Amino acid sequence: MASDESGPVVSARGVVKSFGQLRVLDSLTLDIPRGVTYCLLGPNGSGKTTLIRAIVGLLKIDGGDLNVLGMPVSRVQQIYSKIGYMTQHKALYPDLTLQENLEFFAGLYGIGKQEREQRIVELLRMVNLQDLRNRLAGTLSGGMYQRLSLACTLIHEPELLLLDEPTVGVDPRLRQTFWKYFERLTSDGRTVLITTHLMDEAEKCRIVGYMKAGKMTAVGSPDDIKRQAGLKPHLELWLKDPEKDCARLRAEGYEIEILDGVVSLRLESHEQIKSVLEIVSPIDMRLKEPMLEEAFLQLSEAA
Amino acid sequence: MIQVSLRRIGVVALRVVRQLKRDRRTIGLIAFAPIVLMILFGYALSGEMSGVALGLVDCGGHPALRSHLEAIEDFDVLRLGSESDAELLVSEGRLNGAVVLQPDEVRVLLDASSLQISQAILTAAQSGAQKEAANLQKPQENFVITRYLFGYDLEMMDTVGPAIMGLVVFFFTFINAAISFIRERSQGTLEKFMVSPLSRVEMVLGYVLGFSLFTLLQSTTTLLVVTLGFKVPMRGNPLTALTVVLLLGAGALVLGSFLSNFARSEFQVVQFIPLVITPQIVLCGVWWPLQSIPEFIRPISYMLPLTYAGDALRAVMLKGSSLTEIIFPDLLALTVFFLVFFAAATLMLKRQVD
Ligand SMILES: Nc1ncnc2c1ncn2[C@@H]1O[C@H](COP(=O)(O)OP(=O)(O)OP(=O)(O)O)[C@@H](O)[C@H]1O
Ligand SMILES: [Mg+2]
Repeated sequence: MASDESGPVVSARGVVKSFGQLRVLDSLTLDIPRGVTYCLLGPNGSGKTTLIRAIVGLLKIDGGDLNVLGMPVSRVQQIYSKIGYMTQHKALYPDLTLQENLEFFAGLYGIGKQEREQRIVELLRMVNLQDLRNRLAGTLSGGMYQRLSLACTLIHEPELLLLDEPTVGVDPRLRQTFWKYFERLTSDGRTVLITTHLMDEAEKCRIVGYMKAGKMTAVGSPDDIKRQAGLKPHLELWLKDPEKDCARLRAEGYEIEILDGVVSLRLESHEQIKSVLEIVSPIDMRLKEPMLEEAFLQLSEAA
Repeated sequence: MIQVSLRRIGVVALRVVRQLKRDRRTIGLIAFAPIVLMILFGYALSGEMSGVALGLVDCGGHPALRSHLEAIEDFDVLRLGSESDAELLVSEGRLNGAVVLQPDEVRVLLDASSLQISQAILTAAQSGAQKEAANLQKPQENFVITRYLFGYDLEMMDTVGPAIMGLVVFFFTFINAAISFIRERSQGTLEKFMVSPLSRVEMVLGYVLGFSLFTLLQSTTTLLVVTLGFKVPMRGNPLTALTVVLLLGAGALVLGSFLSNFARSEFQVVQFIPLVITPQIVLCGVWWPLQSIPEFIRPISYMLPLTYAGDALRAVMLKGSSLTEIIFPDLLALTVFFLVFFAAATLMLKRQVD
């Protein structure tokens, strides 16, 4: 599979797209390197789906440069066999069985019969629907439908996967299976672009891009993002003599808050824990890492 | 640079067939619908046409003869534009006879296959001519010239049968196709297709192929109902009739696909019926000969596929025409209709995504 160069799989420069008066992509710039899971986060209506639809050539962009797998987006049709696109809304035939749905999508990509069977078995196992392969898709539950939809998207082993909220309604255990599968895909050199509103999923991605009003307002690894938002880890301390200990910590220049008798102390870095322990000896303590969610709440207020 | 892969077309066709196969109601209607339509159109309409159908071509003169013929209760007089129209309709068995009035003579065209009726027409024409002569106070001379044509004695069922074949196929294919395409959009599968190697041309052709198998089943059933059940003759090759129907079905499919772009829901598709189906029933020339439709509406008749399919099917079933005899104009017109809406349907598929 691996096609050519090491350049970004998707690269956008000043991409603009408007629907009438509404500017949905506002000179958006982003790079998605090969072999990573890239998570696109952002509030409802920020333009995530629009960006994905522009990447696959379903929407014509009004301006800017957009390249996909080294190909300008105007010619993206030529590489559709390398792209897997899972739409945000259902896109299956409810009046076909699971097997028939998968066979149909496999057929579109010209996958031979033998290979197809093998892939169907593997994917149905991955999404844990192997026992239902002869059920009509229309009779599946919401989450099952979503799982089948993912299987149909993966059937031709695409090089670039664009998954628009693939885990909506999927139970936690299966979501974990999905993420393991995505990791396997990226270790094979495939690239996964995924949108989600679930922070625990975003945390698992190599790169997270935060989109707001058609622009990328923050991009980086989950840790980077937290740093950009100015979020720091906190150390929570249970002290024998809070009054006295706090005074000593303040004297050393630490920022302290006391809530319900628990002392919360802001750390600049994890190394500081050692020096804190040299000043006080707590009964108990707990390290609180910043949440990605908080970072985004801050970023979306700031932007 | 359009690449068309037969294999992908086959994949779409297989899927369409699988879906149709599961649609129990449609499958059930395949046999039921032609029976109902035959009874409805065949028997119900045949009551109206019980009189003698007489064509009248008026090129001037003989007012007394004309009003005499028009006054006869048993005669349904149909005004026609030319003698050749009259000849055609008589030889097709759709008129029992015709009277052509010209200033200096009167010609009576008669159908040799039903002598009794021919005799009645001739008698009426002659007594009308006598009145005319008396009015003019001229010496009576025999200016009525008789010509016999070889038509065939048709019953209403016979003329209706071939058209029902076309109508059933057109109606079901059109509705089913329009709804299928609406669903492709509302299910989101169209969007997925668009991002696959499947081209729009392949997709529509896949539909044509899949529905053709369905059309074949449907038209064979209709053919059996019409010929065995209602005793409509099948003088030509049944395969020729099926060819006509397949071409008509393909046209109905692409029309349905094209028009689905103007409907937002399955419900709205149903609203196309009065617009698309009814004019074809009224104007296709089965229940009323084309020649009797007012001239300013006739061009519409000539734009409707059912007009040509009906004509071709009548020719094959009743006259035993061969494939080559119906190429012009019928098969040609059906092909043009298909190509025009095929192009329109594929173009619209693209536009509606943007
Ligand atoms: N085809 C369209 N015509 C007009 N407006 C559109 C169209 N598609 C999207 N929009 C508008 O563009 C904006 C961005 O929509 P988009 O679907 O990209 O958001 P999103 O980030 O995917 O949101 P969500 O998290 O809810 O999925 C919205 O205001 C939406 O109403
Ligand atoms: Mg979205």
